[in-house]
Amino acid sequence: MTTEHIRNFSIIAHIDHGKSTLADRMLELTGLIDERDKKEQLLDNMELERERGITIKASAVTMPYTYEGKEYMLNLIDTPGHVDFHYEVSRALAACEGALLVVDASQGVEAQTVANAYLAMETDTELLGVINKVDLASAQPERVAEEIEHILGIRKNECFKISAKTGVGVADLLDAIVAFLPPPEDNSDKPAAALIFDSHCDDYRGVICYVRVFAGELKVKQKIKLMGVDRSYQISELGKFTPEMTPTDKLGTGEVGYVIANIKQLADVTIGDTITDENAPAAEPLVGYKPPMQMVFSDFYPGNNTDYPKLRIAFDKLALNDSSFSFVPQSSPALGFGFRCGFLGLLHMEIIQERLERENDIDVIQTAPTVSYEIVTNDGKTKRIDSPSQLPDMAYVEELREPFVKLEIITGKDSIGAIMKLADDRRCKLLKTDYLSPARVMLEYKAPLAEIVYDFYDLLKGISRGYATMDYEFTAFEKSNLVKIDILVNKIKVDALSLIVHRDNAAAKGRRIIIRLRRAIPRHQFEIPLQIAIGGKIIARETIKAFRKDVTAKLYGGDVTRKMKVLKRQKEGKKRMKSIGSVQIPQKAFMSILDTSE
Amino acid sequence: MSGEDFQFDSGQMALYVHIPFCTSKCCYCSFYSEPIIDHDSKALVSALIKEMEKYADADFRTAYIGGGSPSCLASEQLLRLVEKITHRFPDIAEFTVEANPGQLTPDTLVQLLNAGVNRLSIGAQSFNTVELEFLGRRHTVDAINATVSTAKNIGFKNINLDLIFAVPGSNLDSWSKSLNAAIALGVQHISAYSLTFEQGTLLEKLLQLGEVEPLPEELDRQMYELAIDTLSANGFTQYEISNFSKSEFECLHNLTYWANHPYVGIGPAAGSFYDGHRTINMADIKKYIAAIQRDGDPVTQTEEPNEIEFACETAVLNLRRTQGIDMGEYEQLTGYDPLELFADTIDKYLKMKLLKIQSGKICLTRDALPIADSILCDFSVI
Ligand SMILES: Nc1nc2c(ncn2[C@@H]2O[C@H](COP(=O)(O)OP(=O)(O)OP(=O)(O)O)[C@@H](O)[C@H]2O)c(=O)[nH]1
Ligand code: SF4
Ligand SMILES: [Mg+2]
Repeated sequence: MTTEHIRNFSIIAHIDHGKSTLADRMLELTGLIDERDKKEQLLDNMELERERGITIKASAVTMPYTYEGKEYMLNLIDTPGHVDFHYEVSRALAACEGALLVVDASQGVEAQTVANAYLAMETDTELLGVINKVDLASAQPERVAEEIEHILGIRKNECFKISAKTGVGVADLLDAIVAFLPPPEDNSDKPAAALIFDSHCDDYRGVICYVRVFAGELKVKQKIKLMGVDRSYQISELGKFTPEMTPTDKLGTGEVGYVIANIKQLADVTIGDTITDENAPAAEPLVGYKPPMQMVFSDFYPGNNTDYPKLRIAFDKLALNDSSFSFVPQSSPALGFGFRCGFLGLLHMEIIQERLERENDIDVIQTAPTVSYEIVTNDGKTKRIDSPSQLPDMAYVEELREPFVKLEIITGKDSIGAIMKLADDRRCKLLKTDYLSPARVMLEYKAPLAEIVYDFYDLLKGISRGYATMDYEFTAFEKSNLVKIDILVNKIKVDALSLIVHRDNAAAKGRRIIIRLRRAIPRHQFEIPLQIAIGGKIIARETIKAFRKDVTAKLYGGDVTRKMKVLKRQKEGKKRMKSIGSVQIPQKAFMSILDTSE
Repeated sequence: MSGEDFQFDSGQMALYVHIPFCTSKCCYCSFYSEPIIDHDSKALVSALIKEMEKYADADFRTAYIGGGSPSCLASEQLLRLVEKITHRFPDIAEFTVEANPGQLTPDTLVQLLNAGVNRLSIGAQSFNTVELEFLGRRHTVDAINATVSTAKNIGFKNINLDLIFAVPGSNLDSWSKSLNAAIALGVQHISAYSLTFEQGTLLEKLLQLGEVEPLPEELDRQMYELAIDTLSANGFTQYEISNFSKSEFECLHNLTYWANHPYVGIGPAAGSFYDGHRTINMADIKKYIAAIQRDGDPVTQTEEPNEIEFACETAVLNLRRTQGIDMGEYEQLTGYDPLELFADTIDKYLKMKLLKIQSGKICLTRDALPIADSILCDFSVI
């Protein structure tokens, strides 16, 4: 098929505005799925996606479409809306000429609407505005169209008003995709160049690369080279997603599909790399992507030290299917051997945790998530640390830097005051205020990542009664007046409980933490002193009192079985904790240091 | 452990008979019992006797009729049961009957003594009228005194009093008075139990409704320590977490449980450890009687501890005794050397001075007694 008859587009939107549902309707209208195979959000085929009702991974599908009597090939890429998976959107956009910006007619423009629209504009992607869910009683398509025009510059009378649920307007939208979105550039006579925009690993077939061919073509049996890593392979199968993988002989310029080439591990391919012909290579690789940035880090230790190898195997397996998750061995004087893991955000962390638990039977102790920091040492070297315990003695540290982000919050005007106060408490600097409409405003802040990555979103939702949304993007590491808080349990410094905070509220934070720890650590057979130290100086202490009475009064014949069970349960409870010195610390104690509630 | 290789010393066997009747329910009680007026006690006693026939060949050394309240049975029924037991098992050395104060007439007591009962366990619980009322006991302080002195006069030389401490509303002073009143009665044995809020009891419900509050843990502990100190100052030796006796008056029957030796329990809800099996009879008087009458099996639960489980149980039970685990005896019974089997745990608690080893025995220290469960749970599984 000539490029004239191909259209490549992504569907982008804020979370839950209906991207995947719109994809369902398009699959039906183009005849790819019939009544029988129908299920909601068909492209969300991972178990976790279906359970959570969200898209985690982008997926592609090729649809045939007839417009004005001519055959077209439409390649759709559905993307996730959650901020943690932002990078999936930018990858998808790089593979497309156009995008549908979907906006919920009752919610209006939200933070990820803006962020994703900006991404599309940066990559010169042609945008079609789509106002979805017009079937809802609370739909306000006219108001939403105004917001879109005002904030994103898409003309309000050019927005499509549809219902992905009922299908209203979707056929017109398909026509518009052909009529208004540009076809791919025709580079069919040039050396092959295909962008790997995603990949996944199949137990039997190895790595499956999702590609967009920008020049030349790819064929079965062709010898190919991955330009970035400079490795050669031979294509054993290629094809299209319809939506299941359907083999074809070749993928021509402008087309989207998959390539299998006996690549064993996900680690062997870099997303954003270019596939070219081994014998007639392209002169330059295509413009790739920056690897996604890990925003939070957390240590995982086996509850039982002998489970360390089991934990490594489990992480290996998880990393095999998620190249944005990373883990490196880490050892802690207090907790023994474990792994430092990096995540795109808290949702990503939760998903990995859940898989770890679901697919393995290992008791794990996880430390509170932290952001990474940059230090400049006395000798002028800059180093990244992603755990407070890695912070060297401050005498050797010239400068301590923390990550800052551009934070965008969109909210109704009623909650502006409360949100500004929250942002202020969290060291955020207001850069810009922009009214989307008389009732809704967009606030732009410069914010320390550490202040907004954990519980900020929940608080924001709380004070805005669910209306505010936020998005953030890393900008730079900058010098901050930070200090490390150390926690001593029974006189032993527990490095895994250390944290880095701003000096101004360090003491107050320290005092709150120690009280929460006192509540989170169960009483023992002896008294346990807890101490908080800042820069080696103890600033607060608390004591966990020993329990004084714990004994079954009566144990005679008939009770033996039942009483043994009670004792075993008591023992099991101890096992689920990490022993540090002679103190058993439960999982919740590690997490309690992040809890900001009073 | 399989039935075949289980070697029990039949000389140590204990027979327990459960009388599942009470006149009314005490608020803290989780034993299986029902109002006697709702049931045919004669039929029950017949069923008990019939169930016992199954063990006609066993060589019981101790017998214990408990409950419930054996003393609320009609005296001829109680005597019929006692006589059957002594007739069947003439070698019983210790024969205990539980009695609530004021429930047995002097005549019945005489008859029991004559029939072979040589130990009485009296549910005194407290010598404080307010506490007795709180607990839902139907007797008075006077009734306790009267029952004990009558029993002594008749010739009972081995009497136990059960006492409960840490009753809401009580204090160190009232507990001390109860202890001293019990001691003053000249009994040979005292069991002192901390009040427990057992599941399914009225007391637990009141706790949940916020109508009662347990005593502070620290006071509970002080009361326990007061019991240990007061009793030992008055010639009693503590031989188990809650049990104290004059020398040579330890309860042989209960020692069987803590030695983890076999025993047979007869009656509704009674538990047995026999032939390597732990079983529990159905907790339903009518169904129990019906099952026995048609030669059926009254057992509802059976567990067969494996070797390790048996070793763990034995350690937990042994450690409740002040003499603790006798290492020689333990190895003979279980096949394991406790110092190896529980090496880390024993090491840890020796260092913390919560365990001690002396003359071949591993036992809890005085500091460990009030928090025994937190230590014993480490012996409950390997
Ligand atoms: N009433 C109505 N509900 C819709 C419509 N489109 C989608 N929904 C519902 O909105 C919810 C979210 O839809 P999805 O298609 O999963 O949204 P998404 O944008 O793919 O979400 P993420 O992938 O998590 O960002 C689902 O409950 C859909 O049934 C619509 O047109 N009308
Ligand atoms: S404590 Fe004794 S008398 Fe009271 S209900 Fe329980 S078994 Fe019956
Ligand atoms: Mg989706």
